Parts: sequence; C-alpha cells; structure tokens
Amino acid sequence: MSGVDRVVIVGGDAVAWLAALSLQRAFRHRGLQVAVVDTGQGKNTTDARWTLPSLRGMHALIGVQEPEFLRRTGATYKLGTEHIGWQGDGSRFLHAHGDIGTAIGAAPFYKFLLRERIAGRRATPEQYSLAAQAARLGRFARPLEDGEGLKSSFTYAFHVDETAYVEYLREHAARAGIRRVEGAVASIDTSEAGWIRSLRLVSGNDIEGDLFVDCSGLSESERDDWSAWLPCDRLACAISPPLANPPPLTQTTASEAGWTWRVPLAAATAVGHFYCSAFIDDDAALAKLASVAPGARDARVVARFKSGRRRRFWEHNCVALGQAALELEPLAGADLHFAQLGIATLVELFPLDGHSTVEGVEYNRVMAEHADALRDFTIAHYRAGPARPEAFWNATRASPIPVTLAHKLDLYGSNGRIDVRDHESFEEVDWAWLLMGVGDIPGALELQMTTLLESVTAAQMDPLRTQIERLAASMPPHIEYVRHQVSAPMRASS
Amino acid sequence: MRPPLNIVVVGGGTAGWMTAAAFASVLGQRKCRVRLIESSEIGIVGVGEATLPHIRFFNKRIGIDERELMAKTQATFKLGIEFVDWARIGDSYIHPFGAYGSRMAGVPFHNYWLRQRQAGDTTPLEDYSLPIVASRMNRFSLPSEDPSAVLSTFGYAFQFDASLYAAYLRGFAEQRGVQRTDGKIVDVQLRGTDGWIESVKLEDGTMVTGDLFIDCSGFRGLLIEQAMKTGYDEWTKWLPCDRAAAVPCENAGPLTPYTRATAREAGWQWRIPLQHRTGNGYVYGSGFISDDEVASKLLSRLDGKALADPRFLRFTTGRRRKTWNRNCIAIGLSGGFLEPLESTSIYLIQIAITTLLDYLTEAPASAETRFDPRTVDAFNRWIEMEYDRVRDFLILHYHATERDDAPIWNYCRTMDIPDSLKHKMELFRHRARVVTYKDGLFLEPSWLAVYFGQRITPQRYDPLADAVDGAALARKMQQVREQVQTAAVRMPGHEDFLRSYCPAVEPAMTGARA
Repeated sequence: MSGVDRVVIVGGDAVAWLAALSLQRAFRHRGLQVAVVDTGQGKNTTDARWTLPSLRGMHALIGVQEPEFLRRTGATYKLGTEHIGWQGDGSRFLHAHGDIGTAIGAAPFYKFLLRERIAGRRATPEQYSLAAQAARLGRFARPLEDGEGLKSSFTYAFHVDETAYVEYLREHAARAGIRRVEGAVASIDTSEAGWIRSLRLVSGNDIEGDLFVDCSGLSESERDDWSAWLPCDRLACAISPPLANPPPLTQTTASEAGWTWRVPLAAATAVGHFYCSAFIDDDAALAKLASVAPGARDARVVARFKSGRRRRFWEHNCVALGQAALELEPLAGADLHFAQLGIATLVELFPLDGHSTVEGVEYNRVMAEHADALRDFTIAHYRAGPARPEAFWNATRASPIPVTLAHKLDLYGSNGRIDVRDHESFEEVDWAWLLMGVGDIPGALELQMTTLLESVTAAQMDPLRTQIERLAASMPPHIEYVRHQVSAPMRASS
Repeated sequence: MRPPLNIVVVGGGTAGWMTAAAFASVLGQRKCRVRLIESSEIGIVGVGEATLPHIRFFNKRIGIDERELMAKTQATFKLGIEFVDWARIGDSYIHPFGAYGSRMAGVPFHNYWLRQRQAGDTTPLEDYSLPIVASRMNRFSLPSEDPSAVLSTFGYAFQFDASLYAAYLRGFAEQRGVQRTDGKIVDVQLRGTDGWIESVKLEDGTMVTGDLFIDCSGFRGLLIEQAMKTGYDEWTKWLPCDRAAAVPCENAGPLTPYTRATAREAGWQWRIPLQHRTGNGYVYGSGFISDDEVASKLLSRLDGKALADPRFLRFTTGRRRKTWNRNCIAIGLSGGFLEPLESTSIYLIQIAITTLLDYLTEAPASAETRFDPRTVDAFNRWIEMEYDRVRDFLILHYHATERDDAPIWNYCRTMDIPDSLKHKMELFRHRARVVTYKDGLFLEPSWLAVYFGQRITPQRYDPLADAVDGAALARKMQQVREQVQTAAVRMPGHEDFLRSYCPAVEPAMTGARA
C-alpha cells in the first residue's frame, strides 16, 4: 500500500457527513474514494444544535445552499447567545456574533467601554452592537458581506434541527456520489503495528481502507480529563412548541446544578438541561427542564459524558473527529466548529502515503491547541465574574483554572488587554463580549489606551447608539426573514 | 490627573534612544517623564545596522519621517538578506522581504512550484519573488498600496549607520522633552523591603530616582544583572559563536539593496552597504579560530579599503531570565543576545518597547503596586516567545548544512536541536509544509527561503496542489514570472533611487560621540 486512495468514515452524525463531503470535494481530482459506514445518528444526540458562523464557510465548500438548507432543516438564524443567571439570579448578558462599536483610532471600541466601567459609569457592549440590538428585538437581516459600515459589523450562525440536518447531509452526500454502507462495526483488522487494514461489519462484509475516520462518538481512550472544571456529565432534552416571535438567539440559563438552554427552531423550540449527576438526579433534572419549558414533550436523558479530550486524535491511520475526539459542553456552540477544524486540518495534512506519521504529529499538536482554547473559553463562563451560591457552582470553582486561561484572565485583570494566541477560535472581541458580559472589569487600563481615549466622551458615542437602534428596528422580524429565505428560488451557486 | 510615570533610561545606544523616543512620543510629557543617562566616555556597540521591515511600524507609531531618517543616517534600502556558502560552498540564496507568488485555491504557491519542478520545469523559486529578482538587479522602488499589483508583494527595511541612528533619535527624543544626563553610574540603590530600584547614583554624586528603570546598558546589564542578579539562559550549545570583529570599509561596486551573510571557516561574515561606507563583521566561535586570524581574514575579504582597525566584541548568546524584573526592564543587549544573522537586534528592541507600551497601565496611587505582577509576567512570557522563535530560526541556518570542511560546521550539522525545530524541519522535508504561527518572527516566506536555501528538499508537496489543471497552471506560473520580471526591470537602480529620494546629509554633530 502506498497512496491513500480509500477513506472509510465510521459514524452517522453530522460530523461524519461533513467529513465525507469535505474530503471527497477536496480530493476528487485524485479519485479519492470515500465510504461512510453509517452507524446511524445514535441515541446520544440532542434535538437541535446551535452553531458558530464558521459553519457557513464549510457549507459553501461542500455546496450547501442556504435557502435549501433552511427549508430542509427547519433552521433559524443565530446572532449570538444570551446567558442568563450565570453570575447570580438577575444577571444576563449577550455574546453576539459581531463587533462592539467601531474602532476609535487605534483603540478597539471595548477599551472605551472599559474606561467608562472603570470610572464607575454604566456602559455595555450590547448598546453598541447591531447584532445584539437586532437579536433583542427579534429581528434579522443578513449582513453586507464586504462593506465596512454597521451593516457589515456582524456575522451569523444557525439553529438547526439535528435529525433533519443529518438526513439532509446524508442525501447531499448521496448526490455527491459518496458510498454509504449501513451497519455497525463488529471487529477491526489491524496490522501488528496497529494500523487498520479493514473493518468487519455485523453483516459480515469487510470494508478495506487506507485511512479511517472515527466519528463513532464517545469512547474510552487516553484522555485529558476536564471534569474538575466542567463537571456537568448528563444531558437531557425535550421539544416544546414554537415561539410566537423566535429571536435569532440561543439562550442558556444557569440552574442549581447545571444550565438549561433554549434553541428556537422554525417549527419548534428545542430545550435541554446540562447538569452534574453528583448534585442532581435524572428525575429532578427532568423536572427542572419541565419547569422551564412548560408543555415540552419527548423529555429524556440523552447522554452521559465526561468533559475532556483525547490525547492523540490521530494515531496510525485513524483520525478521531467530533465526540470521539472532544467532549465539551456546547455552551459556546463550538462542538461542531471543533469538528470542522478537525476536517479542515485533515484536508491540509492529508497523508501522502499509508505509513507516514509526521502528519499525525502535527495534527495532534494543532488540534490540541484548538481544543484547549475552546475549553478555556467555555470554562471562563463559569469562572469569570461573580459566583452563584449553589454547591454545584462552588464545585466548578474548586480547582485552579488551566494555566493558559489564567494567563489570559490575569493579563485582562491587570490592564484590560486580551491577547489571543495561535489556534484560538474565539477572537479578541468574543472575549470582550464574555468578560464584560460577566462583569469582569480590570483594575486598570493600558496607559496608551487611556491616552488615546482621553478626549473621547460618552456623549460623542450617542449618535452611534442611535444609528444602531434605528438600523436594528428597520430589520424585518426574524421569523419573517426565515420564511422569505425558505421560499426563495434555488440559486445556481451560493 | 495622576502624576506622570517617571522613567529612567540607562544607556544611550540604539536601545536607549529608541526607548526614550518611543515613550516621549507615544505617551507624551503628561503621562511620562523620561530621563536618559549616558556617559560620553562609554562607547556604544552600534548593533543593528541592518533592520527588518517591522521597523517601519515602529517609525510610524512614534512619528518618525522615514525619508529624513534615511538621509540623516546614510541609509540604504533593504529587500532581504543574501546568504552565501551556507549549505554548500558556492551556494547563494536570498531571504526576501516578501512572498513567492501567491496562494492558489488556498494552497501556498511553493507547492505548485514543486509540482512544476517535478514535471521538469527548472525555473528557480526566486524567479517568483519580486524582492529577490530586484535585489539581483540592484534595483529598488517603494512598494505599491494596491494589493492587486505585483509591486505590493514586498516590504522593505533599512540599512543605516547605528551611531547616526542613535544620534537622530536623540534629537527626536530631546525635542519631545526627554532629559539627557551625561554621567557615569557608580551605584544602584535597591529598596530594602522588596529589592526594587530606588535610585541610581552618578559619579558626581547626583541621585536619580524613578518609577521605572530601563536598562539599556548593553551586555553587562548594569541594573538587571549587576544590581538585581536576574540570571541568564545560555544558548551556546546551539549557537556556538561568541565573538565578533567589526570593521567599516570604503564602498566598491554598486550599493546592493540587501545585506549579505557569508558562511566562513569559523562562523560568518556580514556586509552591510551604506551610502558612505560598508559595514563588515565576522561573527565566530572563539573555540574555532583565534582573534588574530579573524582580523586578518576579515581584512582580506573587504570590498574596499578598511576605514578603521577591527573592533572586537564578546557575547554570550541567550536571554535574560526575566526581561522585566520588579521595576527594571532590560531592553537591548542587556535583555539578551542573538547574533545578527537575520538582522533581529533592532526588532527585539522594538518589540520590547512596543509590548511595554501596550501593557503599561495608568500609574495607581501607590508606588508599591505600580506594576501589577500579572502584567509583568505576561510581558516576560511574550518576550520569551519572541526570543525563542528567533532562536529556532537561527539554529536552522547552522544546522541544515552539508558543509563538512570545518569543525564548526561539523559540530552544527550533527548537534541536537530543539524538538520544536526538529518537528518543523521534518514536516517540511516530508511534504513541504511550513509550520506557521500568529505572533513573532518569522512568516512562511522566510522559512521557505531558508529551508530551500539550505537545501532541505521536500520529498513531496501538498496533494491539494494537484487539483489545478496542468496547462492552466503552467500559464499562470509563466504569468507570475513575467510580472515579476517586468516589474523589476521597470524599477530604478537602487543608487539612483537613493540619490533622488534620500541623499545623505552630513549629520549634525552632537558632540556626544564620534
């Protein structure tokens, strides 16, 4: 065996299909054969998922068009996430997918907000964000793609019905000529050295391949355990009726032993509860879910998991993607994003022959940095700002935070500066949304920033705020915009 | 209004005056008071005659007029560095300030070049780089602002007289309120409670107090090491050179828009062309050659007549354990030393200054808490990262050689290198992939120049590069080559451009030094 001509993907969730479509697109010039051993969607899935804007880039690459996608998956738009109660009852903040204000010379706008807050004056990022204002009003319109004004100051993601999404991707893959074999893996034939030669399915069929992609979900492995920081280990979900005017916004709400979420879909509202079994049992957790979503149906515990990541994602000729690689609560909506990063990195480092190992070393280095950065951003929701009083919330604060996160929070705490390192998905502005949102205000601000902002007054910012309010109010109601998109004719290309 | 920060800069070389000029200009007199202490009896090393394009960001940030700077420092333009005899005797490659071609379908250009080469196309990679082609022709013009133009595919830096640069910055800084004190420091007073610097004492008995002391005193580290015992990490096992001999000579031949680094029997020799003279130096390992031999070899390998006797410097390659320790920050040679093979000396000064400017906060009421240890730690981590990345890149030049004609090359070729570099080289050799990163030096084209230049030949290239149709690719490659060639030929000669743009003016003598 010399070249890598056959890829076998095991799994049946969105990650498996996205991987199949991406690899096939990228290497069709070499005649790469992609087969998916479709093990089904699995029971561990939620009814809905919320994504990050990066999914749109992947959709464009694999030829998924937005109107069709919206129509088929019951999707709605997402301009951000609202986090309620995380810093105590009554607290709430938005993390929008967009800029905060517009730069004041060399100073990012949030520095001005920090100066105001340090001086004891009220100032929130939301007031200066078109995405946030529109989300609050339940309104939406697509941004202008390449302008520089307020209408280009944000981006967007989606809420999707998971089952419909998987079905849609499966069909899309079939149209793209990807071979699908239904069934489950019974045994794996490996070489002495541990390289996979073929999979034997329960049906007795053997599937040979040169590279294997494992999207089969949770498994025991040599892993970094993150449960000391992220102790939630159970997930329950349910479906409730659609909202009259669903906002383009994911909502998470802190509860006694975890947090609940609400995802508005076009024809339903998906709800769920992430919780820690050491502090609440399944029945009580389901009762909690019922209390926040009256009238919900299909309530069930769908997953038991443990936060952490695999030490090595790529070993020999096998690459783990999705939950087989990382188990991270979807607080920041980054689970699918991490899988996308894995797919994109796999495309970039696609092995040249059946026995090379250097790609795996690089892949594992890069993906570990990506994973740890997403972990840090997630943990920061629990650790920054004031604490909630319950025992579960105390437990989330018991262990010292990862050193990379400590470095970030320390620097911010000392001078308001947010340094973003290699392979961090969340940018400076995302951290600004989060840290200002939780009420974490630094002790001082960079001298050069205070100098730059010396002559800038809050009153000067009033026109900007007014303009944002006016633009947000002029957008159509979110659900109307979705309906309009869904009825739009197919375009030749997206 | 809080009181301004009192900054004392110790030492008036390149680092000292860059620091003073930057603080005075960026923060202004209401935010900081800067006093610089230098002794006209102590000479300056005058490092960093050759710079990197990053210096232009520094100039812009502090408001320096480049044209004036160039005219006053006998400056020439720099498009890259030529490396001669590094992998094999007879080799020459240029590390350019700019990219080779441009990405196609998201794939770095060099993969397509490798693909074409495999198909029999023998065009050298440097034909796709405008700064290299222009350098080979001794031509120069300023880059274009239009991103679609081939003239926007490069950056430039300067080669200048470091003493004149310091003098120029002094004038700039003094105009902006920097107080200069001529005096020799005889004592450093540390606060008993916590070891912070309280004041420095001059020979004439004057005590100079301050909030923040910037140690720009050079190799000896008057404050950071002699007074504060901060410690130093040595990297001699990877970079064995520990001395240099420098000598200026008369110009001969055209002024090249690039610096040259020629590998020698016990190190390497630099050549930096300025308007009025050429700077030269031999960086060597004292275990491999004697000072006398270096002097005679160096003098025999000059373009023109020597203008002085060789001046010798000793150094230990490495980094101060903490660049920022309590209320003292080491900037320049006091903070660490990496040989000037990639012209990083001024960059490392600049990055320490700008990072400090980025991190410093408004002074709180109490001096005790003036510098938050969290800020200090973050600053030190940043500087460490910068030094480590430059270090690995320098090691690559020494390690990736086929030379076996001298002990220093045998040592470097076979030495153990840091794992991070080993991995980078392996990945490139395997599939032409460059490990890139967001912060610090160097970007992908730099790694490519040195990998290829040092004869690390990739076995394969990125398979995504095969997706483009062969005939279309050949046409595209030819088009890039022609654009580069045409653009280079249309540029004026480097000397002609200098003469019209920034002819040297006699520097106003400050009397501070010769």
